[in-house]
Amino acid sequence: MIRLGTALWLLLVAASGYAMFQIKYEVMKLDDELTRIDRQIMTSRESTRVLGAEWSFLNQPDRLDRLAKRYLSLKPIATAQIGSIDTLPRRSPVPPAAVAVAAPLPASSRPAAASWLAGIPSGVPQ
Amino acid sequence: MKQLPLDDNPCRPRHFKPAPCAPAGSEGPAQQSLEASHTRLIITGALLCLAFLVIGGRLVEVAGFKSGGARLAHSHAAERIETSRADIVDRNGVLLATTLVTPSLFANPKQIQDPHGVARKLAGVLPDLDESDVCAKLASDKSFVWLKRQLTPRQELAVNRLGIPGLQFQDEERRIYPKGNLTAHVVGYTGIDNKGLAGMERGLDEVLRDRHGPMALSIDVRLQYILRDEIARQVADFNAIGGMGVIMDVNTGEVLALVSLPDFDPNNLSTATPETTFNRVTLGTYEMGSTFKIFNTAMALETHTATLASSYDATQPLHIGRFTIHDDHPQRRWLTVPEIFEYSSNIGSARMAVDAGADQQKQFLGRLGLLKAPAFELPEIGAPLVPSPWGEVNTMTIAFGHGISVSPLQMAMAVSAVVNGGVLHRATLIKHPAGYAPLGQQVLSAQTSETMRRLLRLVVERGTGKLANAPGYLVGGKTGTAEKVSGTHYDRKQLLSSFIGAFPITDPRYLVMISIDEPHGNKASAGFATGGWAAAPGVSRVVQRMAPLMGIQPLDEDSPEIRRSLMVDSLTPQGRKIAAN
Repeated sequence: MIRLGTALWLLLVAASGYAMFQIKYEVMKLDDELTRIDRQIMTSRESTRVLGAEWSFLNQPDRLDRLAKRYLSLKPIATAQIGSIDTLPRRSPVPPAAVAVAAPLPASSRPAAASWLAGIPSGVPQ
Repeated sequence: MKQLPLDDNPCRPRHFKPAPCAPAGSEGPAQQSLEASHTRLIITGALLCLAFLVIGGRLVEVAGFKSGGARLAHSHAAERIETSRADIVDRNGVLLATTLVTPSLFANPKQIQDPHGVARKLAGVLPDLDESDVCAKLASDKSFVWLKRQLTPRQELAVNRLGIPGLQFQDEERRIYPKGNLTAHVVGYTGIDNKGLAGMERGLDEVLRDRHGPMALSIDVRLQYILRDEIARQVADFNAIGGMGVIMDVNTGEVLALVSLPDFDPNNLSTATPETTFNRVTLGTYEMGSTFKIFNTAMALETHTATLASSYDATQPLHIGRFTIHDDHPQRRWLTVPEIFEYSSNIGSARMAVDAGADQQKQFLGRLGLLKAPAFELPEIGAPLVPSPWGEVNTMTIAFGHGISVSPLQMAMAVSAVVNGGVLHRATLIKHPAGYAPLGQQVLSAQTSETMRRLLRLVVERGTGKLANAPGYLVGGKTGTAEKVSGTHYDRKQLLSSFIGAFPITDPRYLVMISIDEPHGNKASAGFATGGWAAAPGVSRVVQRMAPLMGIQPLDEDSPEIRRSLMVDSLTPQGRKIAAN
């Protein structure tokens, strides 16, 4: 008759053996996956390099210049187009109502002017 | 050794003891050895237990607490992809040179049965292969021959599709230059084995090998393009054989753009010729002509041999030995120092130089770094040609930039020093870290530098460099038109026309220099091919295009502060009147 202790140990041995193989297979699977991901990273990095080179190639200034001339109607900035906020004339402190009285706008242009003014945050009550 | 009891069996091992049938007496050898082995057993057991405990403990440690550390020890194949040569980028991180893995085709001739057929098929898909050459390689009795290095993915596919046994691919690294011609002279190129052969690839060969991150140059690709574009335009307009130019940060010595035309495509070196790979800016040395008057005037002011109020006789051409010195814009009268500069008078400049003397001249030019090859990262560095002995004739001709040859890079460095307050910075192609202010060498006084800035502005405002003006950006500079030596004499037709200037001249930030090699006058320039016509307009356009990019605010040229800061106070009323004509 097998004693209870022996049976318990045998059971433990069987269980740990099973667990060991289980874990081993799991590790093998993970290892495979790691290799696969590593390879994937390598390919991705290589593609990133290739794409980076291509990006730089496609952004050659003379190519951009050519394309811009063909498809855009933009021109280099002229000196006259550059200014600073300080050089802008200050807004008139006179309330717009007074301005309107002083120089009445044609009725047709007034809504447009009003909506344009409304877009500007201002302390002056309209 | 202990005496054991005699045994009747001589073959019995000595250590074997028959089990005692009865409890042995406390005395006696049997009892003694039993106790000894018991002790040994306990010790061994304890050691084993200890070992298992250590292993168990380590197991718990590894599994439970140090999983991160254990993972680090794992070698990742992905890390090995890092290429053997660092990328090169511009100052804003734009890629200028990178390394890609490309396949190379090789063959094992021993496995090739039909060399002729294979060679014909290969030449069919790879047109730049020579069929007979390939055939000879395949027929040899080696077991390894390169057929073609560095194929494109498309070519690889085409060769694979042929399905010829014995042909194989080997991955190799290849340097790619996405900007092609644009930065060819700066970046340079490598050979087939990725060893730097020219440009920064050679100058920084070892650095690039060891480095992991990209190497940032001081070049700004946008400015490089603008400069190249405008030089190319001037070269085309004036039907010239070449052109060159530099944009430099006058306060740090960083080179932001360096152009030498004609140039080459580093991706396709088979089309490059010695003419195109020649870096005119750094390797070429030229007699720079009147731009040298910047140094001549600065020298006279610095050594106090002349002041702005001094005047010199420029009524007659100057005869010295077998030479005659003429003026290109003759005024036929006495000229003040500012007028000599403004009208670019050779006669006046020569007289100024003679006043200062050869020694002072030599010493001053030496301090500006014009008499020896500059230290620079590019390996293509030309040493200046300096007269020896340095006689009076040399002193006179050097005053207006003949009889001494320097590289345009040296000019850029020296003029930067003249306008930036007198500090000479080493020119560099490597980006300085943000906020780093390199220590320069004070080579002339801030006072002289300020005066020179006023004089340089005068040239653009009223003198020979009017076409270099860029409204709002206060360009100040000097034109130069050198006659090139053709055989034994100077040729009036073969010119090197330059403009070298800085802006905004009230507080200079950038130096722009353009030289056009052998320009020919056109209708628009009324036949002139001088620096004021062939180079100055290019500088004007470069400044107007680059200033908004560099965040330089246009200034009101007529504002009283600027007028005052640029006033040249020694101009006599008479001088002003004549200048206005």
